[in-house]
Amino acid sequence: MEKNNSGMKKSNSENKINRRKFLISLGNTATGIVVLGGIGVTFEYLTPNVLLEIPKVFKIGPINSIQPNSVIFEPEQRTFVVREEQGSFYALSAVCTHLGCTTKWNDIGAAGNSAAVISCPCHGSLFNKYGEVLQGPAPRTLDKYRVQLEDDKLVINTGEKVSEDEMILKV
Amino acid sequence: MKILNNLAKTKFWQSVFRTKLPLSTNLDRSLVIFNSLTLHIHPVKVRLRAIKFSYTFYLGMISFFLFFVLIVTGVLLMLYYQPAIPHAYRNMKDLEYVVSNGSFLRNMHRWSAHLMVISVFLHMLRVFYKGAYKPPREFNWIIGIVLLVSTLLLSYTGYLLPYDQLSYWAVTVGTNIVQYIPVAGKEIRFLLLGGNEIGEYTLVRFYVLHCVVLPLVMILLIAFHFWRIRKDGGLL
Repeated sequence: MEKNNSGMKKSNSENKINRRKFLISLGNTATGIVVLGGIGVTFEYLTPNVLLEIPKVFKIGPINSIQPNSVIFEPEQRTFVVREEQGSFYALSAVCTHLGCTTKWNDIGAAGNSAAVISCPCHGSLFNKYGEVLQGPAPRTLDKYRVQLEDDKLVINTGEKVSEDEMILKV
Repeated sequence: MKILNNLAKTKFWQSVFRTKLPLSTNLDRSLVIFNSLTLHIHPVKVRLRAIKFSYTFYLGMISFFLFFVLIVTGVLLMLYYQPAIPHAYRNMKDLEYVVSNGSFLRNMHRWSAHLMVISVFLHMLRVFYKGAYKPPREFNWIIGIVLLVSTLLLSYTGYLLPYDQLSYWAVTVGTNIVQYIPVAGKEIRFLLLGGNEIGEYTLVRFYVLHCVVLPLVMILLIAFHFWRIRKDGGLL
């Protein structure tokens, strides 16, 4: 019994918070907070608040001057704006869905395709004129952007991706 | 010899070199090594076969020598290079065609970089096939892996600096690969680029990584790597 008692006492005194343990844990906690805060502040510092990047929304037109069955490539926004025969418009991202190179529109077709194709110079992906993948390594179709009519000009928002059903603007 | 002995007796000599000359005992000879910062990196004893060329092919030393060449040529190249967007490409062109011996330095930097990737890789293969990654050297193997990754990162960050078409698209592709890292991929890409697209910030970030951060990491780890070779029982 005595042995047990003394054992209990020992573990009690080990668990007890004395001044030394209190000050050590206080110091460690303070250091931890400062280190975490420092990491957080550094990450914030490394994330720029103002970016001088190209605006997401751009205008093109007037629509009368866009020929039917033609493509306009906007190099800054990396976007193809297409007018089809019926007078319907759509905007297609020129950024390859594989690793982000800028693709090229080939009207006469390429790599055994007689119709117009979009090809990527980096790793050889091929898309048809609606951005569907004909040949890898691209994993998915090209992004489609919302096209709206404002007065007689087209407004394209590269920040707003739309599905295939919504991509075409009939005029 | 007499002049050297007299020189060794001057106060100036004795304040720089702790060892008393002339050397007479083995203890004196070992103190030369122990008391010198630059010499004490050598082990006290080296097995004869460890110095044979066919034992290590000197691959570690070749890598270190190339790293040294890269630092010297790199520092010189920095004097004619500004990491800003209209300037970077023109500076590179000037180094190539206008600056005296600029193309020599640039090519020396470039070829040393290529060779260093090869020699570090071969060094790793040599260590692997000799089983030198096994205990007690397992931690030095890990340091070596970090050094290999740092070498590749140095190559990659240096690739953007000429800021030509090749650099631009290589970094576009590379940072898009980074994007596929689970959970934090997009954030890491944003931090690396300092934006959503390659721009001014990207160039400065890669420049600082290439010229300051990664070389510092390399120097510290190389020092530790060498020290661990001695502590883990010499070359194997």
